[in-house]
Amino acid sequence: MFRKVLIANRGEIACRIAATLREMGIASVAVFSEADRGALHTRETDQAIEIGAADARASYLDVEALIRAARAAGAEAVHPGYGFLAENADFAAAVEAAGLVFIGPTADQIRTLGDKRAARDLAGRAGVAIVPGAAGNTPAELAAAAQKLGFPVLVKAALGGGGKGMRVVADAAALVEAIESAGRVAESAFGDASIYLERHLERPRHIEVQVLGDGKGDAIHLFERECSLQRRHQKVIEECPSPAVNETLRERLTFAAVALAKSVKYRGAGTVEFLVGADSKFFFLEMNTRLQVEHPVTELATGLDLVRLQLEIAARGALPAQQAIDRRGHAIEARVYAEDAAHGFLPQAGSLARVAWPRAPFVRVDRGVESGDAVPVHYDPILAKVIAYGDDRARAIERLTHALDETRLHGVITNLPFLKALLRADAVRQAAFDTEWIEREFLAGFTALASAPVPEAALAAAALAELLGAASAGDGTGGVGGADARAEDPFAELGAWRLPGLS
Amino acid sequence: MRTEWKDGARSRTVEIAPLGNGRYRVSVDGVPIEVAAQRLGAGRLRLATPGGGFVAEVTASARQRFVRLGSLEFVLELEPAGRARAKSAAGGGLEAPMPGVVTRVMVSAGDAVEPGQALVAIEAMKMEHLIRSPRKGKVRAVHARKGEMVAGGTALVELEPDAEPAA
Repeated sequence: MFRKVLIANRGEIACRIAATLREMGIASVAVFSEADRGALHTRETDQAIEIGAADARASYLDVEALIRAARAAGAEAVHPGYGFLAENADFAAAVEAAGLVFIGPTADQIRTLGDKRAARDLAGRAGVAIVPGAAGNTPAELAAAAQKLGFPVLVKAALGGGGKGMRVVADAAALVEAIESAGRVAESAFGDASIYLERHLERPRHIEVQVLGDGKGDAIHLFERECSLQRRHQKVIEECPSPAVNETLRERLTFAAVALAKSVKYRGAGTVEFLVGADSKFFFLEMNTRLQVEHPVTELATGLDLVRLQLEIAARGALPAQQAIDRRGHAIEARVYAEDAAHGFLPQAGSLARVAWPRAPFVRVDRGVESGDAVPVHYDPILAKVIAYGDDRARAIERLTHALDETRLHGVITNLPFLKALLRADAVRQAAFDTEWIEREFLAGFTALASAPVPEAALAAAALAELLGAASAGDGTGGVGGADARAEDPFAELGAWRLPGLS
Repeated sequence: MRTEWKDGARSRTVEIAPLGNGRYRVSVDGVPIEVAAQRLGAGRLRLATPGGGFVAEVTASARQRFVRLGSLEFVLELEPAGRARAKSAAGGGLEAPMPGVVTRVMVSAGDAVEPGQALVAIEAMKMEHLIRSPRKGKVRAVHARKGEMVAGGTALVELEPDAEPAA
């Protein structure tokens, strides 16, 4: 096993990887940009090296700077996390060329599977159904391809994942602008402006299969994840298992995913994404050649540490046997972002004066910030993932709802109210949703609720705190679930004041 | 004490009058209610109203106030102490250094004052704090009233603009 590993990432995922390295007795090295001096991920590793300016291109996306840091620290391997260079074949190649181990697939696998066109061809050859789609190099070619596919079409970046720049286009008139905008997003996020078009399926579910390959031709799966709760093609809540998958469908999905992984002798952890129709027909969407943001739900449901498995594959090609993999209960995750869900999910930045994460049995928090930490404007505004486990789905949801209720994030506007409202929605409780449900049926109601007047009691509290000088400037002592916080019922009738929409 | 708040696109007003013994008459947008307030530390306040009690948690971040009631979270923005603040910027006003109660007002509009002369006394946290004139000049207006509760930053006294240019 490695003695020292460099984590080429930041935020919650860097902290999460560091946790497994610590557990395994492997020294960890963090890297950070100017904007991340003193950030939590630099405090939770054995060593931290500054690699460049705040702009990610001059730091977290700077291949040379990362390899220099790995060499300077004497690391033997590099874990890319997700995002940034995790799916950049040139980075993987550069790491290996420097005599270091890249904890992930080979550069060729990243290149092939990361290119949606090539990946679709591969999936097709492995016998997996694919959504009708087309590529083109010029706007004219793309427009012709779109006509052939039939509107609405989905415009997306040919490389990368995460739904960045993805757009549904209803007619030819809107196509050119969507192609240009997607190209710009793709260029800045992945360094490649190539575009890919796909026929847009109505009301599909997004279900993905976690796979692991040993790089020698063997591959296994760790069941599926349900990721249909998305806003603007970005996942917000994920679960394992999917409430929409029965044993028959599970067998077919996992078989297809493993077949694809085996066909390329896949190395490391990867995720095969599918769109699933109401008729249980499924289509290959893409393969993500990295650890997913939502990997913790798989970890809680299987009891396996995916980062540890990645390390074991990278160090010695070791893979557990499929028969040894089991699943129990239900896990559900909510992604906590610094964004204003009521105002177009506008990313927020600033300083988190007060942070208190929930502490409860069966609740896990993968977080990248604590009280006093900054949320820089330069990066993805994910703050944390809160994950809950239960013996069944209802219990897991109940625990996650409670955990989010107990979470305090003061100083920067976050999507916590959005997540809390989502988890209380009937459709979510009954698992009756698809990838467009949030925008189609939930968002308007949430926005209206979020724009309701702040209750008088809150205004009175704010003004009294001002008068008494009682407002906390954030001292990190805001413990969760203290006796005082829960001693009284805030929903009690407040005399002449109403709590609009809350009583 | 009157504070103005931005609640999304809305303007909200809270007026607080002390009734003694930790009790206040709090009017939110003109609707009054009697509240007993107790500081619990770490940004927490226990508020008791005739209808029931609750604990609120308030965190300040620049002008934003994050308010937690039970498991509900609200964000408000404190408006700069409007009228008074605007005037003070123009005329060299003297502001309350902290929230407190005005215990003494020692000058009136039109008075000539000397540098270091005490103008107003504020009591906060059982300590009296004197607001003194920074220079020789003339009092243009006195905003402070004896017994009034003021927020930190509230303009208390305004001096006439300094007529003599700095040498």
